[in-house]
Amino acid sequence: MDFARLTEALASKSYEKIADICDDLMLQAAAEGIAYQDEWPYAIHFLGYLYVDDINSARYLWKAIPSTIKENRPELVAVWKIGQKLWIRDHGGVYEAIHEFDWCQEVQGLLAAFSDLYRRRMFQLLLSAYSTISIHDTAQFLGMNEEEAKVYVTQQGWIVDVASQMFTVKKQEIVTEQKLDSSKLQRLTEYVFHLEH
Amino acid sequence: MGTVEVLVAQIQGLSSTAGDISRLHTLLKQSEELLHAETSRLPSALAQLDASQHSLGYLYILEACTSVPISQEQTSSIVLTISRFISSCNPEQIRLAPEKFVSVCKRFKDQVILEVPIRGVAPLLTAIRKLQTSSEHLTTLHPEFLLLCLLAKCYKAGRSILDNDILEVDQPRDLFLYCYYGGMICIGLKLFHKALELLHNVVTAPMQSMNAIAVEAYKKYILVSLIYNGQFSTSLPKYTSSVAQRNLKNFCQPYIELANSYGTGNVEELDTVFQTNREKFESDNNLGLVKQAISSMYKRNIQRLTQTYLTLSLQDIASTVKLNSPKEAEMHVLQMIQDGEIFATINQKDGMVRFLEDSEQYKSCKMIEHIDSSIQRIMTLAKKLTAMDENISSDPLYLAKAGRERQRFDYDDFDSVPQKFNI
Repeated sequence: MDFARLTEALASKSYEKIADICDDLMLQAAAEGIAYQDEWPYAIHFLGYLYVDDINSARYLWKAIPSTIKENRPELVAVWKIGQKLWIRDHGGVYEAIHEFDWCQEVQGLLAAFSDLYRRRMFQLLLSAYSTISIHDTAQFLGMNEEEAKVYVTQQGWIVDVASQMFTVKKQEIVTEQKLDSSKLQRLTEYVFHLEH
Repeated sequence: MGTVEVLVAQIQGLSSTAGDISRLHTLLKQSEELLHAETSRLPSALAQLDASQHSLGYLYILEACTSVPISQEQTSSIVLTISRFISSCNPEQIRLAPEKFVSVCKRFKDQVILEVPIRGVAPLLTAIRKLQTSSEHLTTLHPEFLLLCLLAKCYKAGRSILDNDILEVDQPRDLFLYCYYGGMICIGLKLFHKALELLHNVVTAPMQSMNAIAVEAYKKYILVSLIYNGQFSTSLPKYTSSVAQRNLKNFCQPYIELANSYGTGNVEELDTVFQTNREKFESDNNLGLVKQAISSMYKRNIQRLTQTYLTLSLQDIASTVKLNSPKEAEMHVLQMIQDGEIFATINQKDGMVRFLEDSEQYKSCKMIEHIDSSIQRIMTLAKKLTAMDENISSDPLYLAKAGRERQRFDYDDFDSVPQKFNI
């Protein structure tokens, strides 16, 4: 089997492409009748889905893996555990599942990138959902100890209230580019004109 | 008429220009009997042809070749031959004999489905793209492809064809199955909005008599509607066939009961209905979906609170919607914020939740682009509709029927019917 595209994507850290590339390769191999299962990089395929936040496809991939392969590859069971934690939204558990296994070389880079991305996603979630939140919970969500969490969020302007052990969340101003193509405006004007006459 | 060898020579000679190919097509049609009589000699004939150059001839021979029962040992090689043929054949040539192509693909599907459904996913997708005249064309292969995707658990691959708007259908059954399987794929991927749309299409499609696909689709439609909309109304739109309007409900009583008790907002009552009908749901293979519908009720009840209160304590939320602890309520609220189902901020210090308005102000560039593209889509759709309308109103069959009925009415009723026909 030719994994050139996959290795290239991994090497260039284009992790968002991993899932699509793996899907493609797998369907092609299957169509040719190749028994790909034994050497298929399931763990990378699975993490590729998690990276693009496609937990459902990850779930179906797991279901399609033959049970003999699941039994013989502890690494696979370990990525599945990450998936399970994500599925039940046990946010702290996700980081634990990442840390408690000794990952092989190929997976490490992708996994570290996923872990980073997940932390950023969680931070955005906290930002949008909380006005105050305990230091303990924040540390859980971000997969850090409480001291690290303090440093991380105070850099973003959050304020610590030592008495109650709480953070006050500082909402970020979302600055978006508001440049409008004048032709779009023209078109909308035409619609309205058309409707009124 | 000659032998298989002669035919192979003809195929090789007549596969380049359009004129040659149409002559070849006539020859092939005449040789069908010969091909079906000499199936044992066909594999060697195939070996002499090139699937991409001699697609039409290859297709005829392949069809004859697969028309007889295939032995176990041959299966694997024939599956591979078809799969390679699909990927390399010339679309223009195979479109000359669509029924042959479809039957080869169906036999291919029947073979792979028994052993490894995933083998058929990529080839059938290619086959659909080659067979269809435009992306709006629904072929008989669409539902077959989706079925394989479901069985092979390649939901994402199945999802890729569901975004095309379908305007052209060969067989009504294709549409029913396409929408039903498509609905299942979207349910699996938790794209409930799209699933609802597809299932709705099945339920409201024109039908002369009840069919099992519509009944099963209706059951899922009820459940998805509870999950996505938090409610279900038994009244169907006016354009639904009268058969469906009258009968569908009778086939789905447990589901209707479930929907009714969902409407009361009472978790325990819903659970009672669920327990009484559990076996029915299980035998319908809908148990998982029913459970999702039930757990969606907590969300629904929380959503209802946002309509009444501006702020509410987590404790109060927990007791009103019958969750065990404030922490559990917090996790529910958090999940809903994450999924964009409510707008709120949680204040852990005071244990309160403040419900907010939708922060979208409809003035961003993205929104303008969204509105613009929606208008564009609707305009194209309106044009299509006008074109179809014109097509029908100039169709001789329609005019003949309208003309016959015309005498029964006033002439004034028929202003829009063109005046030039005479019967």
